[in-house]
Amino acid sequence: MQVRALATVTAAALALSLGACSSDGSGDGASAADGPITLEYWAWGTAQDGMVEAWNRTHPDVQVRKTDAGGSTDSSAKLLTATRAENAPDVAVVQYDTLPAMIVGGVAADIGEHVADAEEQFNPGVWSQVEFDGAVYGVPQDVGPQALVYNQARFTELGLPVPTTWAEFAAVAEQVEQKDPAATLTTFAPAEFGGFAAMAQQNGAQWWTVDGDAWTVSIDDEPSRRVAQYWEDLVDRGVIDAQPLLTPEWNARLAAGEVLSWPSALWANGVVNGVVPEQAGQWALAPIPQWEAGRSAVSFQGGSAVVVTTSSEHPEEAAEFAEWINTSKEGSAAQIEAGQYPASLVGQELTLSSAPPVQSPQQADYWQVAQRIASDTVPEVSWGPNVNVASSAFQDAFNAAATRGTSFTDALAAVQEAVVADMEKSGFTVSAG
Amino acid sequence: MGTAGPAAPARPAARPPGRAGRRGRVPIAPYLFLAPGVLLLVLFLLVPVGYAVHLSLRGLRVSGGGPFGRREEVFVGLENYAAALTSADFLGGFGRLAVYGLIAVPLTLGLALLFALLLDATTTTAKRFSRTAIFVPYAVPGVIASLLWGFLYLPTTSPVSHVTEALGLGAVPFLSGAPLFGSVANIAVWGGVGFNMIIIYTSLRSIPAEVQEAARLDGASELQIALRVKVPLVAPALVLTGLFALIGTLQVYGEPTTLAPMTTSITQTWVPLMTIYRDAFTRDDLPLASAASVLLAVGTLAVSVVLLRVAQRRAFGSES
Repeated sequence: MQVRALATVTAAALALSLGACSSDGSGDGASAADGPITLEYWAWGTAQDGMVEAWNRTHPDVQVRKTDAGGSTDSSAKLLTATRAENAPDVAVVQYDTLPAMIVGGVAADIGEHVADAEEQFNPGVWSQVEFDGAVYGVPQDVGPQALVYNQARFTELGLPVPTTWAEFAAVAEQVEQKDPAATLTTFAPAEFGGFAAMAQQNGAQWWTVDGDAWTVSIDDEPSRRVAQYWEDLVDRGVIDAQPLLTPEWNARLAAGEVLSWPSALWANGVVNGVVPEQAGQWALAPIPQWEAGRSAVSFQGGSAVVVTTSSEHPEEAAEFAEWINTSKEGSAAQIEAGQYPASLVGQELTLSSAPPVQSPQQADYWQVAQRIASDTVPEVSWGPNVNVASSAFQDAFNAAATRGTSFTDALAAVQEAVVADMEKSGFTVSAG
Repeated sequence: MGTAGPAAPARPAARPPGRAGRRGRVPIAPYLFLAPGVLLLVLFLLVPVGYAVHLSLRGLRVSGGGPFGRREEVFVGLENYAAALTSADFLGGFGRLAVYGLIAVPLTLGLALLFALLLDATTTTAKRFSRTAIFVPYAVPGVIASLLWGFLYLPTTSPVSHVTEALGLGAVPFLSGAPLFGSVANIAVWGGVGFNMIIIYTSLRSIPAEVQEAARLDGASELQIALRVKVPLVAPALVLTGLFALIGTLQVYGEPTTLAPMTTSITQTWVPLMTIYRDAFTRDDLPLASAASVLLAVGTLAVSVVLLRVAQRRAFGSES
């Protein structure tokens, strides 16, 4: 789940209350040696309650208490602080791109010995998101393979083809401008680090790589620069607006049928449904456009794993919980019901016999399309230890470039510089690729 | 306690030993009265400030080596202060703050004084209603006010842009370029005028009626009374509100943070406090954020003291 989306408008409200994070200690709900133990679980999103309920029903000896500690950014910031204060929860949801930061921050524990049989339940590409240097730091929960969600009703009305390559996507954008000047094929949100990273990775970029003891950072590599140039060109020509996502402004345009598509990921359908539930039956899912015709590369945007913290007093039970909710049929069913795409093979199998989600009841093959997309994912995507710095630098550099009309590739270079500087300051061995 | 003597008749003189005993004891009452205040001050001000100063001298560095080495806290001296003082993000925030302050502070104080004088003028009617109407925005939480104004600024939802677009002038760019400063300042002015007005108005009400009457007998007009009699007499209240406004400016955070997701023009480092928040919670660099916080606090204190000195000399003449 991409919860940043949901949090956008209320960001400040969250931000203000964020400083005062609190949680009672890890596992100190556990009484004496006998009697059930209680695990603290930090998670966000609509799928969690169902999963936790299913576990608690079937595991009377290990009860789990869920706390919503905010979306990915807020939650991981709190995990770092709570770990230093030694009152972190036992188990927590962490987005794949922040997992390395949680490892070097001492939050995530190696649970390899407890979940030895979990690996075979996942695609290798998904499993690679939680295994580093032979240690396992979490169990994958959901994945966000890139996808294109589009307003099918408006596409039909304007007689537009569904683009399969980014070149076609640009051509369709021009057609939209001619046929309905008030509408736009999509908007480019300069602050969406995750979306840009996914497009760059789809094009073959590897932003962080490990070689022996050293990191290599190549955020402004050739594939990424091409993605930056692509969007810069569309924005420069005025074919697509550079505009933040999910603001009252964007939502109003979406409701008016003026934003025709959103290249993002599988979870986007649920987000659109949250904004314009009245457009149910109009939106459909399609594979993400490709950089080269004939290829079928799909990267991840979002998605998360469940980690056991180093502060947990019951790592074994916590690991069992993490594995069970993400690989059992009961857990997967609760996930699918809430519209989250499961990471496990069991869960993905299960979607095929499920009804399409509420926003796309007309698309009978919805989950089949989703499964096809998920099977095309780029096998290895690795994230670095300071994705938070990259994300915040990206946001400011691209916002500034969009406002001033300066080059996106220069902005990319600025992000690279900030990330390398931060890693050097922290004491990592790093070289710029 | 020392003046308890005259009250003695209330107690019969039958207990002289008690009085003698009390005189010999160390008086603990003053300390008891002081204790809650001192305790709160120490617990919630001195200890956190001390901890912030301590943190500002530390840094998180990778210790174990290797690509996934753990970051640990080590002493780094004044490194964080040097980083904060040379950070273009942090310093740039003060520049934007100055522009914002130049708009917000004079407008807030000017309007507050104007409204207070109008309310105080004898000819004004519907005073109670006007006073409440002007004060109500202060009761609206800053975040709500910012969201509310955000809707009024965004092209699609703004009624102003709706009109200008109908006239063929295009939408008003409230949230980009130079108008952005005015738009953010406007929210603070809207929320702050009422509060400041009440302070000045209260001060106006305490001016003795004779003073105004004397001026009136001398043939002064209402305007002259306002400018020559009332304004000088409420100068202390103006100094106070001015100080509040200045400190408020240095602490601007809520409005731009709430508006930030709606526009590409507000960066995460738009004002100094936003930079501090980003470093602490987005970039997980609490030590750097602590150093910047200490600098900001010391700066605010220094500016306040200097301003208070200068203003007092002006407002109260030779008194100080």
